[in-house]
This record gives sequence, C-alpha cells and structure tokens, in this order.
Amino acid sequence: MKKVFLVALLLVFVTCFSFAIGQKEQKKNEIKIALIVSSTIDDKGWCQAMHDGITQAINELPKGTVADYKAVENTQPADTLTAIRTYVNQGFNIIIVHGSQFRAQVEDAAKEFPDVMFAFGTTTDIIADNVFSYMPQSEETGFLSGIVAGLTTKANHVGVVGPIDGGDSARYNRGFVLGVQSVNPKAKIEVVHIGDFNDTVKSGEFAQNLIQAGCDVLTGSSQQALGSLRAVAEYRNRDIWWVGQDLAQIALEEGYKCIAASAYNYKAVVKGLVENFQNGIYGGQVLPMNFNNGGFEWGWNTEKCAQKITVAIKNAVEDKINEFRNKPNLVSNYISVDYSKL
Amino acid sequence: MADIIINTLTFTVRFSVALLIASMGEMFNQKAGIFNLGCEGIMSMGAFLGMLVPFTVGGAGIVPWYVNISGLLLASICGCLLGLLFGLVVITFRAPQGIAGIGMQMFGVGLAGTLFRSYIGGQQSISGIEAVSIPVLSNIPVLGKILFTHNPVVYLAYLLVPLAWFILYKTPWGLKIRAVGTYPRAADSLGINVNLIRFQSLMVGGAMAGFAGAFLSLCQAKQFSAGMINGRGFIAVALVYFGQWHPTKILLGALLFTFAESLQRQVQIFGQSFPYEFLAMFPYLLVISVLTFNRKSNKLGPSALGKPFNREMRI
Repeated sequence: MKKVFLVALLLVFVTCFSFAIGQKEQKKNEIKIALIVSSTIDDKGWCQAMHDGITQAINELPKGTVADYKAVENTQPADTLTAIRTYVNQGFNIIIVHGSQFRAQVEDAAKEFPDVMFAFGTTTDIIADNVFSYMPQSEETGFLSGIVAGLTTKANHVGVVGPIDGGDSARYNRGFVLGVQSVNPKAKIEVVHIGDFNDTVKSGEFAQNLIQAGCDVLTGSSQQALGSLRAVAEYRNRDIWWVGQDLAQIALEEGYKCIAASAYNYKAVVKGLVENFQNGIYGGQVLPMNFNNGGFEWGWNTEKCAQKITVAIKNAVEDKINEFRNKPNLVSNYISVDYSKL
Repeated sequence: MADIIINTLTFTVRFSVALLIASMGEMFNQKAGIFNLGCEGIMSMGAFLGMLVPFTVGGAGIVPWYVNISGLLLASICGCLLGLLFGLVVITFRAPQGIAGIGMQMFGVGLAGTLFRSYIGGQQSISGIEAVSIPVLSNIPVLGKILFTHNPVVYLAYLLVPLAWFILYKTPWGLKIRAVGTYPRAADSLGINVNLIRFQSLMVGGAMAGFAGAFLSLCQAKQFSAGMINGRGFIAVALVYFGQWHPTKILLGALLFTFAESLQRQVQIFGQSFPYEFLAMFPYLLVISVLTFNRKSNKLGPSALGKPFNREMRI
C-alpha cells in the first residue's frame, strides 16, 4: 500500500512539474543569445570582454531585437553539450561558446542543431555552416604592449605570463615579443606558460619568479593574468610595471602598476552575428577582430601611471595604432616567433 | 646560477605552506581512519572567508593585523564546521567516504564561488599579510633569504609539523587517534569513543584545510577567485600517502612537490627550448612515481582507513 501511494505521489509530481516547466511560446525570428564561458563574466579578462560586448550590442541594437540574453559560467568542456542542449530547448538560437577548449563540443552541437547559430572562438578555421568562428588578432595588442614594455624597461628584461601556448594568448604573447624587439632589440624577453587559464595563484608564483629573475615589466594574457598583476603590485616601491590585456585591469586596486591596457571589443562581432542571423546566414565564416574593424581598444592609465607614460612611448604606440587601423595583418609574422631563440 | 638556486629554494619554502597545512590536516583525518576528499572544497571556503574579513573591513587598503588574523580564524572555524558536517555524513550516516568527499569538494567550491559573487561581486584584491624579514637571521648568507624572509604564517605552518608529531605520538589523544584508525574495535573495547575521536579529528583536519585555503588568499595570492584552489586539495590528500602518514615525511613531500614546481618555473624562465607542457606535468609525475614505487606506503597506512565503524557489527 505504501509503495502504491509513493508511486502515485511521484506520478502526480512528475505530471505537475512537466506542465509547470512548459516552454513559453516563442515568436518567430525572436533572437535569444546564450553565452557559455569557462570562467566568470566579471573576470576582468577574456570572459568579461565577451559579456560586455554582448550587453553593449544589445543596448545599441534597436529595442527588442534581442529578446533574451543568458550566460552560464565556470563551464568545463564535459558540461558544454548539456548547457547547449538546455539553451536550445529554451529557445536560444544564437549560442556563443567562448574558448578554444570547447571546439569538439561545438562541432558536435552544430551537427545536432543545424537550425541554431553558433559562434565559437578562437580559431581561424571554418567549422560548419552554422558556426561563425571569431579570432582576435591579438598579435596587434601584444605588439603595442611590447612597445610599452620595451620602452619602459630599465633592466632591459621583460616577461610574459601566458596560460597555454594556444589560441589568442599565443598570438598576444608572440606579438608582445615582436613589439619589444621593434623598439628595444637588446631587451631580454622571458615567456612562461602556467598551463591553466584560471589559476591566479600559480600565475602569481610565475610572476614572482620572473621578477626575481630580473624582469621589471610584465604582461600576461587571459584571466589568469590577474594573479601576476597582483604579484607585481606587491612591489609597491620598486620600479616594476605591468601592461594589461584588459582595460578593466586599470580600474583595479593594483591598477596603479598597470601603465596601459588593450581590450577586446566584441560588440562589433555580436552585432555582426545578429545581422547575419536576421539575413538567414548562420555561419560558415570567420570573423577576425583587429584595430582595422574596431575589434580592439587601447587605453592609458593617465590617472595613476602618468609619470611612466612618456611622450616617446605614447607617440610610438599611437603611431602604431594608426597603422593598424589603416591596414590589417601588419603583424602576420608573429607566427615566426620561436621562444627557444629568445 | 647561485641566485637561481637561492630563488628556487626560497619559493619552495614559501609556496609549500598551503599544501603543508592542508596535508597535515588530512593526516589527522586519515590517522583516525577517514579520508576526506572534500579537502579541496574546505580550502575553497577557507580562501573565501579568509579574504572576506579584511575586504569587508578595509577593502583593498591596509587593515590592522588582528583583522587578517580574524580572517584566518574564521576560515579555520568554517573548516572545522565543514569537518563536522563531513563527520555527520560519513560517521553518523555511514555514507561512503569517497563519494561524500567528492560531494564536499563540490559543495565547498560551489558555495565559495556563490558567496563570493553575492558578497564581493567580482575580482578584488586585499593587502593581505606582508612578508617580514627576521632581523639578524635574514642577513645570514644564503640561508637567510631562503629561510627568514617570509610571511609570519609561513613560520607558524612549519611549527605545526613538530606540534602535529607531538600530538600524535606523545599525547593520549594522539594515541586514541592512531588506535581508532588502526583497530577501532580494539579501541572501542578499551572504552575509547571511536566516533567521538573521529569527529574530533575531522574537525581538526577541516580547520587546518580552511586555514590552508585562507593562507592562499590572505598571504600568497592576496585575492580570491572562484576555483583558485585548482586541485591543491587533492594534491594535499596525495601527499599524505606520499608522506606515509608521518608529519616529517609529509613535510618533505610538500617541499619536494613545491621544489619540483619551482624548478619547472625556473626551467621555463631560463631554458625555453624544453616543452612547457612536460615541465608542468613534472611535479605530478613525481608524486605518482613515488606513490607507485613506494610499495611500503600501503603497509604503513592506518588499517581501518576508509572503513566505517559500526559498534553493533563484528567486522
């Protein structure tokens, strides 16, 4: 009797919940954007840049163009397909999967949901007819950071703390090397990889090692770099400086060590995705990001680091930004950088 | 070259602390017969609470020393309570320790991330506890920099090693811990309350794991980010096996693991031609190799490790 009662109760619950979570009827062509990220949308780095780009694009597009936007954070590759399926079931039709580690899952999802538009970065490969690939050409921002570092260093010794040697981080780091060499060929450049995108503790440890090894200007790519910036800030009264890969780093408490920073501006990418969706184009293209198409921004920390921003540094960087704005792919030789020969 | 060696050793001493404290705590758990895979989760909560107190009081600015100490204490108290919760699950309800540990790990990491988002919002830093050079001693050539230029908590952590040894091997309570981890039925027959001792050990172990997490956020990284523990809790568990459940050997294990990490960083900085992927693997391969080839470890472990104690059953 007890078992029968329990089974009956269970059936009642299942029936009630099935109807309770029933999907809201979706208007035809209504755009709903979902974002899947490995870190958090306020990580002052990679993931926040995309989140900010989406929210800015939504605000600038005609009201009601995007009906809904949701983000799922701290996603591991193993959980990605589940997240995608959940979003598709809820009617999301533009799904941005932000991180090169998710490639296999995007390939599978694109086959499973051919009517959904996916955006995936970073890669220059065309993945499927319903996947837009995006690739920040970060060698440009890295080059600018390199100019700042090369002209700032007094020890002629600079360092980069990278996550892994892949994706846009690899491009940024190599661009940095070329930037330093363009203004200070004698400078010694150290490039290290912590093997992780999120481990700020390990990032700080690497930065401390680089500083002890004699580096006086550091930079870092991806969200792990915040640990390195914090380590640099430990040397409050020493001439040790940071060049950031996200403008948000300037606003941090330890931003007093951050001379300047670049940032990705994903707004243009997101607007492009929406426009393509409205025109019935769901993918099969690569969307590059560079200064030429407004994909990057650059900012100086004039409030806290004015004494480090000399006329020479400012002119050198701004001349280069103008060159980048006029012509893309000027640092395409980044691929030739071989760390073992530094 | 001398500078490289001195820096490597200095960083080894400084960065081994979180692992050392967490594995000392885990040793108490395991000596009493319970392995707590949830160490990672407790460390996460400790890291969050350790940072929360000074951040709430003074933001990123400098705060009085007792505020930072309060952060360490709060993290330890929270760890103690999480140890108690874990005890409730595995001792009172006799849930499988491995599964419950994984649950505790997910609970701690998730809760710390959620609370961080609610109370702090986004990435923020604190001034934390500064390193102090001990007068006179820090001027000793070579050894001065390696041993006497650290954060006060580093010295405290190293003092925990002889203290843990003394408690385990020279006090009646330590004897009871070892007894309930080795042969709980015999301990029970002598009037020792096995479950009580196990609860106490879990609370001590939890407090130390919380303290270790707070060390990372307050003394080392001086910031908190979700997932910042990043597997260090599991390494701490492995180090207990590595150190054969003995405080001094666990200390050596923590130093060896951190030395391997420091070494791989130095090799990356000074020898770019070696693939960094292999270097990053090196410390973990070292632990696995030692565990694989040191068969003696299996014989030295507490024989009742992982086995729930049920007074009514004759197992």
